[in-house]
Amino acid sequence: MTALLLPVQRVGHVTRAMLGSVGRASRFVADSLRSLREGRTWSSQTVLQMRRLGVDSLPIAAFIALFTGIVLALLASYSFTGAVPLYFVGTLVEKTVTLELAPVLTGLALAGRVGANIAAELGTMRVTEQLDALETLGYDPFAFLVVPRVIAGIVMFPLVVGAAMIIGVAAGGLASVFLLHLSAAEFTKGLRLFFQTFDVQYGLVKSASFGAAVTFIGAASGMRASGGAVGVGRACTRAVVFSAVLILVLDALWAVTWLLGRSPT
Amino acid sequence: MKRANDVIVGSVVLAVIAALIIGIVWVKQSDIGRRQLDVTAHFRDVGNARVGNSVVVRGVIGGRIEGIELAPNGWVNVRMKLDPSVRLPADPVVLLNESSLFGDWQATVVERRALPADAALAREVADASQVSGILPGASLPGIGKLTAVAGQIAGDVASVASRVGTAFDDSAARDLRASIRNVADLSTTLRGVAQAHASDLDTLGVQLRRAVTTLNRTAGVVEITARRLDSATTSDQFRQLVTNFSDAAFELRHAASQVRDLTTRLQSTQARAEAFLAVGDSVLSKMNRGQGTFGLLLNDPSVYAHADSTLRELRALSADIRANPKRYLSVRLF
Repeated sequence: MTALLLPVQRVGHVTRAMLGSVGRASRFVADSLRSLREGRTWSSQTVLQMRRLGVDSLPIAAFIALFTGIVLALLASYSFTGAVPLYFVGTLVEKTVTLELAPVLTGLALAGRVGANIAAELGTMRVTEQLDALETLGYDPFAFLVVPRVIAGIVMFPLVVGAAMIIGVAAGGLASVFLLHLSAAEFTKGLRLFFQTFDVQYGLVKSASFGAAVTFIGAASGMRASGGAVGVGRACTRAVVFSAVLILVLDALWAVTWLLGRSPT
Repeated sequence: MKRANDVIVGSVVLAVIAALIIGIVWVKQSDIGRRQLDVTAHFRDVGNARVGNSVVVRGVIGGRIEGIELAPNGWVNVRMKLDPSVRLPADPVVLLNESSLFGDWQATVVERRALPADAALAREVADASQVSGILPGASLPGIGKLTAVAGQIAGDVASVASRVGTAFDDSAARDLRASIRNVADLSTTLRGVAQAHASDLDTLGVQLRRAVTTLNRTAGVVEITARRLDSATTSDQFRQLVTNFSDAAFELRHAASQVRDLTTRLQSTQARAEAFLAVGDSVLSKMNRGQGTFGLLLNDPSVYAHADSTLRELRALSADIRANPKRYLSVRLF
Protein backbone atom coordinates (compact mmCIF):
# COMPACT_ATOMS: atom_id res chain seq x y z
CA MET A 1 0.00 0.00 0.00
CA THR A 2 2.82 2.34 0.93
CA ALA A 3 4.60 1.51 -2.34
CA LEU A 4 1.44 2.35 -4.29
CA LEU A 5 1.02 5.67 -2.53
CA LEU A 6 4.63 6.74 -3.04
CA PRO A 7 4.26 8.04 -6.66
CA VAL A 8 1.07 9.89 -5.74
CA GLN A 9 2.81 11.42 -2.77
CA ARG A 10 5.71 12.48 -5.02
CA VAL A 11 3.38 14.16 -7.54
CA GLY A 12 1.65 15.96 -4.70
CA HIS A 13 4.99 17.15 -3.32
CA VAL A 14 6.15 18.50 -6.68
CA THR A 15 2.81 20.25 -7.27
CA ARG A 16 2.91 21.82 -3.82
CA ALA A 17 6.50 22.95 -4.37
CA MET A 18 5.61 24.52 -7.73
CA LEU A 19 2.56 26.25 -6.37
CA GLY A 20 4.62 27.33 -3.36
CA SER A 21 7.17 28.94 -5.71
CA VAL A 22 4.42 30.72 -7.64
CA GLY A 23 2.84 31.82 -4.39
CA ARG A 24 6.13 33.14 -3.00
CA ALA A 25 6.87 34.98 -6.25
CA SER A 26 3.37 36.48 -6.29
CA ARG A 27 3.70 37.53 -2.69
CA PHE A 28 7.09 39.08 -3.43
CA VAL A 29 5.65 41.08 -6.33
CA ALA A 30 2.64 42.08 -4.24
CA ASP A 31 4.91 43.28 -1.40
CA SER A 32 7.01 45.27 -3.88
CA LEU A 33 3.92 46.90 -5.39
CA ARG A 34 2.63 47.69 -1.92
CA SER A 35 5.96 49.38 -1.12
CA LEU A 36 5.46 51.77 -4.06
CA ARG A 37 3.45 53.85 -1.63
CA GLU A 38 6.64 54.74 0.25
CA GLY A 39 7.89 57.04 -2.46
CA ARG A 40 10.20 58.96 -0.18
CA THR A 41 12.13 55.80 0.64
CA TRP A 42 12.64 54.39 -2.86
CA SER A 43 12.97 57.64 -4.84
CA SER A 44 16.25 58.48 -3.12
CA GLN A 45 17.78 55.22 -4.27
CA THR A 46 16.31 54.99 -7.76
CA VAL A 47 18.73 57.27 -9.62
CA LEU A 48 21.70 55.50 -8.08
CA GLN A 49 20.31 52.16 -9.23
CA MET A 50 19.56 53.59 -12.67
CA ARG A 51 23.17 54.49 -13.02
CA ARG A 52 24.44 51.16 -11.73
CA LEU A 53 22.02 48.98 -13.66
CA GLY A 54 21.58 51.10 -16.77
CA VAL A 55 24.34 53.55 -17.49
CA ASP A 56 27.10 51.21 -16.36
CA SER A 57 25.63 48.46 -18.58
CA LEU A 58 25.88 50.57 -21.73
CA PRO A 59 29.39 49.44 -22.73
CA ILE A 60 28.55 45.73 -22.67
CA ALA A 61 25.29 46.37 -24.55
CA ALA A 62 27.12 48.48 -27.12
CA PHE A 63 29.78 45.81 -27.54
CA ILE A 64 27.16 43.10 -28.15
CA ALA A 65 25.14 45.27 -30.53
CA LEU A 66 28.23 46.28 -32.51
CA PHE A 67 29.22 42.72 -33.32
CA THR A 68 25.65 41.56 -33.76
CA GLY A 69 25.05 44.24 -36.39
CA ILE A 70 28.24 43.37 -38.28
CA VAL A 71 27.57 39.64 -38.24
CA LEU A 72 23.93 40.14 -39.26
CA ALA A 73 24.92 42.20 -42.29
CA LEU A 74 27.44 39.57 -43.38
CA LEU A 75 24.99 36.72 -42.81
CA ALA A 76 22.30 38.57 -44.75
CA SER A 77 24.57 39.20 -47.71
CA TYR A 78 25.64 35.54 -47.63
CA SER A 79 22.02 34.41 -47.69
CA PHE A 80 20.88 36.91 -50.33
CA THR A 81 23.68 36.29 -52.84
CA GLY A 82 22.22 36.10 -56.33
CA ALA A 83 18.63 35.72 -55.22
CA VAL A 84 17.56 38.87 -53.40
CA PRO A 85 18.76 42.44 -54.01
CA LEU A 86 21.56 43.27 -51.61
CA TYR A 87 19.85 46.38 -50.28
CA PHE A 88 17.58 44.02 -48.34
CA VAL A 89 20.55 43.66 -45.98
CA GLY A 90 19.36 46.96 -44.50
CA THR A 91 15.84 45.62 -44.09
CA LEU A 92 17.01 42.45 -42.42
CA VAL A 93 19.43 44.22 -40.10
CA GLU A 94 16.80 46.75 -39.05
CA LYS A 95 14.04 44.21 -38.48
CA THR A 96 16.20 41.67 -36.71
CA VAL A 97 18.04 44.11 -34.49
CA THR A 98 15.05 46.16 -33.41
CA LEU A 99 12.52 43.38 -33.05
CA GLU A 100 14.62 40.61 -31.61
CA LEU A 101 18.36 40.68 -31.21
CA ALA A 102 18.89 43.96 -29.41
CA PRO A 103 16.22 43.28 -26.76
CA VAL A 104 16.99 39.60 -26.24
CA LEU A 105 20.80 39.63 -26.40
CA THR A 106 21.01 42.75 -24.28
CA GLY A 107 18.46 41.26 -21.88
CA LEU A 108 20.47 38.07 -21.55
CA ALA A 109 23.69 40.00 -21.01
CA LEU A 110 22.04 42.17 -18.39
CA ALA A 111 20.48 39.11 -16.78
CA GLY A 112 24.01 38.01 -16.03
CA ARG A 113 25.34 41.38 -15.06
CA VAL A 114 22.38 42.99 -13.31
CA GLY A 115 20.57 39.91 -12.03
CA ALA A 116 23.69 38.43 -10.46
CA ASN A 117 24.66 41.82 -9.04
CA ILE A 118 21.30 42.31 -7.32
CA ALA A 119 21.16 38.72 -6.05
CA ALA A 120 24.71 38.91 -4.67
CA GLU A 121 24.15 42.28 -3.00
CA LEU A 122 20.82 41.47 -1.41
CA GLY A 123 21.92 37.90 -0.61
CA THR A 124 24.95 39.19 1.25
CA MET A 125 22.75 41.66 3.13
CA ARG A 126 20.41 38.80 4.00
CA VAL A 127 23.11 36.40 5.28
CA THR A 128 24.84 39.19 7.20
CA GLU A 129 21.47 40.15 8.72
CA GLN A 130 21.59 43.70 7.34
CA LEU A 131 18.04 43.26 6.10
CA ASP A 132 16.94 42.39 9.62
CA ALA A 133 18.72 45.50 10.85
CA LEU A 134 16.85 47.62 8.30
CA GLU A 135 13.55 46.17 9.45
CA THR A 136 14.55 46.81 13.04
CA LEU A 137 15.25 50.44 12.14
CA GLY A 138 11.79 50.73 10.64
CA TYR A 139 12.82 50.68 6.99
CA ASP A 140 10.77 48.62 4.58
CA PRO A 141 13.42 46.53 2.79
CA PHE A 142 11.16 46.25 -0.28
CA ALA A 143 10.82 50.01 -0.57
CA PHE A 144 14.49 50.61 0.15
CA LEU A 145 16.11 47.78 -1.82
CA VAL A 146 13.69 46.12 -4.26
CA VAL A 147 11.52 48.90 -5.67
CA PRO A 148 14.40 51.21 -6.73
CA ARG A 149 16.08 48.33 -8.54
CA VAL A 150 12.89 47.19 -10.27
CA ILE A 151 12.04 50.74 -11.36
CA ALA A 152 15.60 51.25 -12.54
CA GLY A 153 15.40 48.00 -14.49
CA ILE A 154 12.06 48.88 -16.10
CA VAL A 155 13.26 52.36 -17.07
CA MET A 156 16.87 51.67 -17.98
CA PHE A 157 16.55 48.38 -19.86
CA PRO A 158 14.61 50.03 -22.76
CA LEU A 159 17.17 52.83 -22.86
CA VAL A 160 20.08 50.43 -23.00
CA VAL A 161 18.25 48.38 -25.62
CA GLY A 162 17.42 51.56 -27.57
CA ALA A 163 21.09 52.43 -27.63
CA ALA A 164 21.88 48.87 -28.69
CA MET A 165 19.37 49.19 -31.55
CA ILE A 166 21.05 52.34 -32.86
CA ILE A 167 24.53 50.88 -32.51
CA GLY A 168 23.49 47.54 -34.06
CA VAL A 169 21.87 49.10 -37.12
CA ALA A 170 24.75 51.55 -37.54
CA ALA A 171 27.27 48.70 -37.27
CA GLY A 172 25.30 46.74 -39.86
CA GLY A 173 25.36 49.77 -42.14
CA LEU A 174 29.07 50.29 -41.72
CA ALA A 175 29.75 46.60 -42.33
CA SER A 176 27.60 46.74 -45.48
CA VAL A 177 29.47 49.77 -46.79
CA PHE A 178 33.00 48.69 -45.92
CA LEU A 179 32.80 44.90 -46.17
CA LEU A 180 30.02 44.24 -48.68
CA HIS A 181 30.66 47.23 -50.97
CA LEU A 182 27.03 48.22 -50.62
CA SER A 183 26.49 51.96 -50.92
CA ALA A 184 25.15 53.84 -47.93
CA ALA A 185 22.17 54.91 -50.04
CA GLU A 186 21.29 51.29 -50.85
CA PHE A 187 21.56 50.24 -47.22
CA THR A 188 19.37 53.19 -46.23
CA LYS A 189 16.87 52.26 -48.94
CA GLY A 190 16.57 48.74 -47.51
CA LEU A 191 16.44 50.14 -43.99
CA ARG A 192 13.54 52.43 -44.84
CA LEU A 193 11.71 49.98 -47.06
CA PHE A 194 9.77 48.16 -44.36
CA PHE A 195 10.61 50.26 -41.30
CA GLN A 196 7.79 50.93 -38.90
CA THR A 197 7.80 52.80 -35.62
CA PHE A 198 6.13 49.70 -34.20
CA ASP A 199 9.42 47.79 -34.59
CA VAL A 200 11.15 50.08 -32.10
CA GLN A 201 8.10 50.29 -29.88
CA TYR A 202 7.82 46.49 -29.71
CA GLY A 203 11.51 46.09 -28.85
CA LEU A 204 11.42 48.73 -26.15
CA VAL A 205 8.26 47.43 -24.46
CA LYS A 206 9.66 43.92 -24.56
CA SER A 207 12.91 45.05 -23.00
CA ALA A 208 11.03 46.85 -20.22
CA SER A 209 9.38 43.55 -19.34
CA PHE A 210 12.82 41.91 -19.39
CA GLY A 211 14.08 44.59 -17.01
CA ALA A 212 11.22 43.94 -14.62
CA ALA A 213 11.77 40.17 -14.76
CA VAL A 214 15.54 40.36 -14.24
CA THR A 215 15.36 42.76 -11.30
CA PHE A 216 12.45 40.98 -9.62
CA ILE A 217 14.15 37.58 -9.90
CA GLY A 218 17.52 38.97 -8.76
CA ALA A 219 15.96 40.69 -5.77
CA ALA A 220 13.81 37.68 -4.83
CA SER A 221 16.76 35.28 -5.07
CA GLY A 222 18.96 37.55 -3.00
CA MET A 223 16.40 38.19 -0.31
CA ARG A 224 15.74 34.48 0.08
CA ALA A 225 19.44 33.56 0.27
CA SER A 226 20.58 31.59 3.30
CA GLY A 227 23.64 29.65 4.39
CA GLY A 228 26.51 32.11 4.09
CA ALA A 229 28.67 32.57 1.02
CA VAL A 230 27.52 29.31 -0.52
CA GLY A 231 23.92 30.43 -0.22
CA VAL A 232 24.75 33.76 -1.86
CA GLY A 233 26.46 31.93 -4.72
CA ARG A 234 23.44 29.71 -5.17
CA ALA A 235 21.18 32.75 -5.17
CA CYS A 236 23.30 34.38 -7.88
CA THR A 237 23.20 31.24 -10.03
CA ARG A 238 19.46 30.89 -9.56
CA ALA A 239 18.90 34.54 -10.43
CA VAL A 240 20.89 34.34 -13.67
CA VAL A 241 19.37 31.04 -14.81
CA PHE A 242 15.79 32.00 -13.99
CA SER A 243 16.22 35.44 -15.56
CA ALA A 244 17.59 33.98 -18.79
CA VAL A 245 14.78 31.44 -18.99
CA LEU A 246 12.15 34.04 -18.21
CA ILE A 247 13.53 36.41 -20.85
CA LEU A 248 13.09 33.73 -23.50
CA VAL A 249 9.63 32.85 -22.22
CA LEU A 250 8.59 36.51 -22.22
CA ASP A 251 10.04 36.93 -25.70
CA ALA A 252 7.85 34.13 -26.99
CA LEU A 253 4.88 35.48 -25.06
CA TRP A 254 5.20 38.95 -26.56
CA ALA A 255 5.58 37.45 -30.03
CA VAL A 256 2.43 35.40 -29.62
CA THR A 257 0.33 38.08 -28.00
CA TRP A 258 1.46 41.19 -29.86
CA LEU A 259 3.24 40.19 -33.05
CA LEU A 260 1.13 37.27 -34.20
CA GLY A 261 -1.61 38.26 -36.61
CA ARG A 262 -0.34 41.81 -36.94
CA SER A 263 -0.18 43.06 -40.53
CA PRO A 264 3.39 43.76 -41.65
CA THR A 265 2.35 47.10 -43.17
CA MET B 1 27.90 62.00 -5.59
CA LYS B 2 24.14 61.95 -5.72
CA ARG B 3 24.13 65.00 -7.96
CA ALA B 4 26.69 63.48 -10.24
CA ASN B 5 24.56 60.37 -10.54
CA ASP B 6 21.56 62.51 -11.46
CA VAL B 7 23.50 64.32 -14.13
CA ILE B 8 24.93 61.14 -15.64
CA VAL B 9 21.67 59.23 -15.62
CA GLY B 10 19.75 62.23 -16.94
CA SER B 11 22.26 62.76 -19.73
CA VAL B 12 22.14 59.13 -20.80
CA VAL B 13 18.36 59.01 -20.71
CA LEU B 14 18.02 62.18 -22.74
CA ALA B 15 20.75 61.20 -25.18
CA VAL B 16 19.28 57.79 -25.88
CA ILE B 17 15.74 59.16 -26.23
CA ALA B 18 16.97 61.91 -28.54
CA ALA B 19 18.98 59.43 -30.59
CA LEU B 20 15.99 57.13 -30.92
CA ILE B 21 13.67 59.95 -31.97
CA ILE B 22 16.17 61.35 -34.46
CA GLY B 23 16.80 57.86 -35.83
CA ILE B 24 13.11 57.12 -36.30
CA VAL B 25 12.47 60.51 -37.90
CA TRP B 26 15.41 60.01 -40.24
CA VAL B 27 14.43 56.50 -41.23
CA LYS B 28 10.81 57.43 -41.79
CA GLN B 29 11.87 60.58 -43.66
CA SER B 30 9.39 62.63 -41.70
CA ASP B 31 9.49 66.34 -42.35
CA ILE B 32 8.75 68.15 -39.10
CA GLY B 33 7.41 71.67 -39.47
CA ARG B 34 7.94 71.81 -43.23
CA ARG B 35 5.12 73.01 -45.46
CA GLN B 36 4.08 70.56 -48.07
CA LEU B 37 1.79 70.44 -51.06
CA ASP B 38 -1.40 68.44 -50.45
CA VAL B 39 -2.75 66.53 -53.42
CA THR B 40 -5.73 64.16 -53.47
CA ALA B 41 -6.44 61.60 -56.17
CA HIS B 42 -9.54 59.59 -56.92
CA PHE B 43 -9.43 55.83 -57.53
CA ARG B 44 -11.80 52.94 -57.98
CA ASP B 45 -9.28 50.58 -56.41
CA VAL B 46 -5.91 51.27 -54.82
CA GLY B 47 -4.50 47.76 -55.07
CA ASN B 48 -1.76 47.24 -52.50
CA ALA B 49 -0.90 50.91 -52.09
CA ARG B 50 -0.34 51.81 -48.44
CA VAL B 51 0.22 54.91 -46.38
CA GLY B 52 3.89 55.84 -46.58
CA ASN B 53 4.42 54.66 -50.16
CA SER B 54 6.40 56.99 -52.38
CA VAL B 55 4.91 59.46 -54.84
CA VAL B 56 7.05 59.60 -57.97
CA VAL B 57 7.04 62.52 -60.37
CA ARG B 58 9.08 62.12 -63.55
CA GLY B 59 10.95 59.19 -61.96
CA VAL B 60 11.94 61.12 -58.83
CA ILE B 61 10.44 60.56 -55.38
CA GLY B 62 8.60 63.80 -54.67
CA GLY B 63 6.45 62.88 -51.70
CA ARG B 64 4.54 60.22 -49.79
CA ILE B 65 1.04 58.88 -49.50
CA GLU B 66 -0.42 60.38 -46.34
CA GLY B 67 -3.82 58.76 -46.22
CA ILE B 68 -6.15 56.36 -48.00
CA GLU B 69 -9.86 56.77 -47.35
CA LEU B 70 -13.04 55.31 -48.73
CA ALA B 71 -15.20 57.91 -50.52
CA PRO B 72 -18.88 57.82 -51.53
CA ASN B 73 -20.12 56.00 -54.66
CA GLY B 74 -17.43 53.34 -54.56
CA TRP B 75 -14.42 55.65 -54.78
CA VAL B 76 -11.21 55.71 -52.80
CA ASN B 77 -9.41 58.97 -52.10
CA VAL B 78 -5.65 58.95 -51.72
CA ARG B 79 -4.11 61.93 -50.00
CA MET B 80 -0.51 62.70 -50.89
CA LYS B 81 1.97 65.18 -49.50
CA LEU B 82 4.42 66.47 -52.07
CA ASP B 83 7.54 68.50 -51.75
CA PRO B 84 6.72 72.19 -52.43
CA SER B 85 9.37 72.28 -55.13
CA VAL B 86 7.56 69.60 -57.14
CA ARG B 87 5.81 70.93 -60.24
CA LEU B 88 2.98 68.69 -61.42
CA PRO B 89 2.45 68.08 -65.16
CA ALA B 90 -0.12 70.13 -67.08
CA ASP B 91 -2.92 67.54 -67.01
CA PRO B 92 -1.85 65.23 -64.19
CA VAL B 93 -3.08 61.70 -63.64
CA VAL B 94 -2.02 59.49 -60.72
CA LEU B 95 -1.24 55.87 -61.40
CA LEU B 96 -0.79 53.34 -58.62
CA ASN B 97 1.63 50.64 -59.64
CA GLU B 98 4.14 48.22 -58.25
CA SER B 99 7.60 49.66 -57.82
CA SER B 100 9.34 46.31 -57.40
CA LEU B 101 8.73 42.60 -57.54
CA PHE B 102 8.67 42.51 -53.77
CA GLY B 103 5.24 43.99 -53.34
CA ASP B 104 6.15 47.68 -52.94
CA TRP B 105 3.73 50.09 -54.54
CA GLN B 106 4.08 53.70 -55.50
CA ALA B 107 1.96 56.51 -56.85
CA THR B 108 3.26 57.86 -60.13
CA VAL B 109 2.09 61.27 -61.33
CA VAL B 110 2.08 61.42 -65.13
CA GLU B 111 0.62 63.60 -67.82
CA ARG B 112 -2.65 62.32 -69.26
CA ARG B 113 -1.28 62.05 -72.79
CA ALA B 114 1.65 59.97 -71.46
CA LEU B 115 -0.66 57.26 -70.14
CA PRO B 116 0.00 53.72 -71.37
CA ALA B 117 -2.10 52.81 -74.43
CA ASP B 118 -4.74 50.69 -72.71
CA ALA B 119 -8.47 51.06 -73.30
CA ALA B 120 -9.48 49.88 -69.80
CA LEU B 121 -7.01 52.27 -68.19
CA ALA B 122 -8.24 55.17 -70.33
CA ARG B 123 -11.87 54.37 -69.35
CA GLU B 124 -10.92 54.24 -65.65
CA VAL B 125 -9.11 57.58 -65.84
CA ALA B 126 -11.99 59.16 -67.76
CA ASP B 127 -14.41 57.84 -65.15
CA ALA B 128 -12.29 59.28 -62.35
CA SER B 129 -12.02 62.67 -64.04
CA GLN B 130 -15.63 63.60 -63.23
CA VAL B 131 -14.88 65.23 -59.87
CA SER B 132 -13.25 68.66 -59.98
CA GLY B 133 -10.44 69.56 -57.61
CA ILE B 134 -9.31 65.96 -57.29
CA LEU B 135 -6.81 64.34 -59.58
CA PRO B 136 -8.02 61.32 -61.54
CA GLY B 137 -6.29 58.07 -60.78
CA ALA B 138 -6.11 54.46 -61.81
CA SER B 139 -4.27 51.42 -60.55
CA LEU B 140 -2.23 49.22 -62.85
CA PRO B 141 -2.47 45.46 -62.52
CA GLY B 142 0.18 44.03 -60.27
CA ILE B 143 1.51 40.68 -59.29
CA GLY B 144 -1.63 40.26 -57.19
CA LYS B 145 -3.88 40.39 -60.22
CA LEU B 146 -1.61 38.05 -62.10
CA THR B 147 -1.73 35.61 -59.24
CA ALA B 148 -5.52 36.01 -59.18
CA VAL B 149 -5.59 34.98 -62.84
CA ALA B 150 -3.27 32.11 -61.98
CA GLY B 151 -5.67 31.18 -59.20
CA GLN B 152 -8.55 31.18 -61.69
CA ILE B 153 -6.54 28.91 -63.97
CA ALA B 154 -5.84 26.67 -61.02
CA GLY B 155 -9.58 26.56 -60.31
CA ASP B 156 -10.25 25.56 -63.91
CA VAL B 157 -7.64 22.83 -63.64
CA ALA B 158 -9.28 21.66 -60.42
CA SER B 159 -12.70 21.48 -62.13
CA VAL B 160 -11.16 19.53 -65.02
CA ALA B 161 -9.56 17.22 -62.48
CA SER B 162 -12.93 16.75 -60.77
CA ARG B 163 -14.49 15.93 -64.14
CA VAL B 164 -11.78 13.40 -64.75
CA GLY B 165 -12.56 12.04 -61.31
CA THR B 166 -16.22 11.75 -62.27
CA ALA B 167 -15.33 10.02 -65.53
CA PHE B 168 -13.10 7.67 -63.68
CA ASP B 169 -15.97 5.60 -62.30
CA ASP B 170 -16.13 2.06 -60.88
CA SER B 171 -16.03 0.35 -64.25
CA ALA B 172 -12.95 2.37 -65.24
CA ALA B 173 -11.38 1.40 -61.94
CA ARG B 174 -12.25 -2.26 -62.59
CA ASP B 175 -10.71 -2.02 -66.05
CA LEU B 176 -7.64 -0.42 -64.59
CA ARG B 177 -7.42 -3.16 -61.96
CA ALA B 178 -7.76 -5.78 -64.69
CA SER B 179 -5.04 -4.05 -66.69
CA ILE B 180 -2.79 -3.97 -63.68
CA ARG B 181 -3.48 -7.68 -63.10
CA ASN B 182 -2.63 -8.38 -66.74
CA VAL B 183 0.58 -6.44 -66.42
CA ALA B 184 1.37 -8.44 -63.28
CA ASP B 185 0.72 -11.71 -65.14
CA LEU B 186 2.84 -10.50 -68.01
CA SER B 187 5.66 -9.63 -65.68
CA THR B 188 5.38 -13.10 -64.06
CA THR B 189 5.56 -14.72 -67.49
CA LEU B 190 8.49 -12.55 -68.44
CA ARG B 191 10.21 -13.54 -65.23
CA GLY B 192 9.64 -17.21 -66.05
CA VAL B 193 11.01 -16.70 -69.54
CA ALA B 194 13.98 -14.90 -68.16
CA GLN B 195 14.62 -17.70 -65.67
CA ALA B 196 14.24 -20.33 -68.42
CA HIS B 197 16.72 -18.54 -70.63
CA ALA B 198 19.09 -17.72 -67.87
CA SER B 199 21.45 -20.56 -68.84
CA ASP B 200 21.31 -19.46 -72.49
CA LEU B 201 22.10 -15.98 -71.39
CA ASP B 202 24.98 -17.34 -69.34
CA THR B 203 26.30 -19.23 -72.36
CA LEU B 204 25.88 -16.16 -74.48
CA GLY B 205 27.76 -14.21 -71.86
CA VAL B 206 30.61 -16.74 -71.86
CA GLN B 207 30.75 -16.66 -75.63
CA LEU B 208 30.68 -12.93 -75.61
CA ARG B 209 33.52 -12.96 -73.11
CA ARG B 210 35.47 -15.31 -75.35
CA ALA B 211 34.77 -13.09 -78.34
CA VAL B 212 36.02 -10.16 -76.40
CA THR B 213 39.14 -12.10 -75.45
CA THR B 214 39.70 -13.01 -79.10
CA LEU B 215 39.18 -9.42 -80.07
CA ASN B 216 41.70 -8.40 -77.48
CA ARG B 217 44.14 -10.94 -78.85
CA THR B 218 43.49 -9.70 -82.40
CA ALA B 219 44.03 -6.20 -81.24
CA GLY B 220 47.34 -7.33 -79.77
CA VAL B 221 48.32 -8.90 -83.07
CA VAL B 222 47.30 -5.76 -84.91
CA GLU B 223 49.36 -3.79 -82.50
CA ILE B 224 52.36 -6.04 -83.07
CA THR B 225 51.83 -5.75 -86.84
CA ALA B 226 51.60 -2.02 -86.52
CA ARG B 227 54.81 -2.08 -84.54
CA ARG B 228 56.46 -4.20 -87.21
CA LEU B 229 55.15 -1.87 -89.89
CA ASP B 230 56.54 0.94 -87.89
CA SER B 231 59.92 -0.74 -87.67
CA ALA B 232 59.71 -1.55 -91.40
CA THR B 233 59.03 2.06 -92.06
CA THR B 234 62.04 3.04 -90.11
CA SER B 235 64.28 0.55 -92.08
CA ASP B 236 64.62 0.43 -95.94
CA GLN B 237 62.18 -2.45 -96.44
CA PHE B 238 59.20 -0.26 -96.78
CA ARG B 239 60.84 1.85 -99.47
CA GLN B 240 61.61 -1.33 -101.46
CA LEU B 241 58.07 -2.47 -100.99
CA VAL B 242 56.78 0.81 -102.35
CA THR B 243 59.15 0.55 -105.35
CA ASN B 244 57.93 -2.97 -106.08
CA PHE B 245 54.38 -1.79 -105.81
CA SER B 246 55.19 1.02 -108.24
CA ASP B 247 56.68 -1.45 -110.81
CA ALA B 248 53.73 -3.75 -110.46
CA ALA B 249 51.41 -0.84 -110.98
CA PHE B 250 53.26 0.15 -114.18
CA GLU B 251 52.98 -3.38 -115.54
CA LEU B 252 49.37 -3.51 -114.58
CA ARG B 253 48.82 -0.23 -116.40
CA HIS B 254 50.54 -1.67 -119.53
CA ALA B 255 48.44 -4.84 -119.37
CA ALA B 256 45.34 -2.75 -118.97
CA SER B 257 46.16 -0.76 -122.14
CA GLN B 258 46.63 -4.00 -124.06
CA VAL B 259 43.36 -5.30 -122.77
CA ARG B 260 41.79 -2.03 -123.83
CA ASP B 261 43.14 -2.47 -127.46
CA LEU B 262 41.92 -6.03 -127.51
CA THR B 263 38.54 -4.90 -126.30
CA THR B 264 38.41 -2.27 -129.09
CA ARG B 265 39.20 -4.91 -131.68
CA LEU B 266 36.71 -7.27 -130.25
CA GLN B 267 34.14 -4.49 -130.41
CA SER B 268 34.76 -4.01 -134.22
CA THR B 269 34.61 -7.80 -134.77
CA GLN B 270 31.40 -7.90 -132.81
CA ALA B 271 30.00 -5.11 -134.99
CA ARG B 272 30.89 -7.02 -138.15
CA ALA B 273 29.42 -10.23 -136.75
CA GLU B 274 26.28 -8.34 -135.85
CA ALA B 275 26.06 -6.96 -139.43
CA PHE B 276 26.62 -10.46 -140.84
CA LEU B 277 24.00 -11.89 -138.59
CA ALA B 278 21.62 -9.11 -139.59
CA VAL B 279 22.15 -9.93 -143.27
CA GLY B 280 21.73 -13.68 -142.57
CA ASP B 281 18.65 -12.89 -140.59
CA SER B 282 17.25 -10.91 -143.53
CA VAL B 283 18.03 -13.75 -145.98
CA LEU B 284 16.47 -16.29 -143.68
CA SER B 285 13.43 -14.07 -143.25
CA LYS B 286 13.03 -13.83 -147.00
CA MET B 287 13.50 -17.56 -147.34
CA ASN B 288 10.93 -18.05 -144.64
CA ARG B 289 8.51 -15.78 -146.42
CA GLY B 290 8.97 -17.86 -149.62
CA GLN B 291 10.84 -15.17 -151.54
CA GLY B 292 13.56 -16.22 -153.99
CA THR B 293 14.53 -19.68 -155.27
CA PHE B 294 15.51 -21.02 -151.87
CA GLY B 295 12.34 -19.65 -150.42
CA LEU B 296 10.28 -21.36 -153.09
CA LEU B 297 12.22 -24.57 -152.62
CA LEU B 298 11.69 -24.43 -148.92
CA ASN B 299 8.12 -23.26 -148.82
CA ASP B 300 6.35 -24.59 -152.01
CA PRO B 301 5.14 -28.23 -151.49
CA SER B 302 4.42 -28.69 -155.22
CA VAL B 303 8.13 -28.35 -155.96
CA TYR B 304 8.79 -31.17 -153.55
CA ALA B 305 6.06 -33.28 -155.16
CA HIS B 306 7.45 -32.64 -158.67
CA ALA B 307 10.97 -33.41 -157.55
CA ASP B 308 9.81 -36.57 -155.83
CA SER B 309 7.87 -37.81 -158.91
CA THR B 310 10.85 -36.88 -161.10
CA LEU B 311 13.14 -38.85 -158.84
CA ARG B 312 10.83 -41.80 -158.88
CA GLU B 313 10.66 -41.64 -162.72
CA LEU B 314 14.43 -41.35 -162.87
CA ARG B 315 14.76 -44.38 -160.60
CA ALA B 316 12.32 -46.36 -162.92
CA LEU B 317 14.19 -45.15 -165.96
CA SER B 318 17.46 -46.27 -164.48
CA ALA B 319 16.05 -49.68 -163.68
CA ASP B 320 14.63 -49.93 -167.18
CA ILE B 321 17.97 -48.93 -168.65
CA ARG B 322 19.72 -51.56 -166.58
CA ALA B 323 17.14 -54.16 -167.70
CA ASN B 324 16.90 -53.23 -171.33
CA PRO B 325 20.05 -51.43 -172.27
CA LYS B 326 19.49 -52.10 -175.91
CA ARG B 327 16.37 -50.12 -175.90
CA TYR B 328 18.24 -47.09 -175.20
CA LEU B 329 21.67 -47.92 -176.47
CA SER B 330 22.41 -49.05 -180.00
CA VAL B 331 25.98 -49.50 -180.92
CA ARG B 332 26.66 -49.56 -184.54
CA LEU B 333 29.93 -50.02 -186.21
CA PHE B 334 29.87 -48.46 -189.51
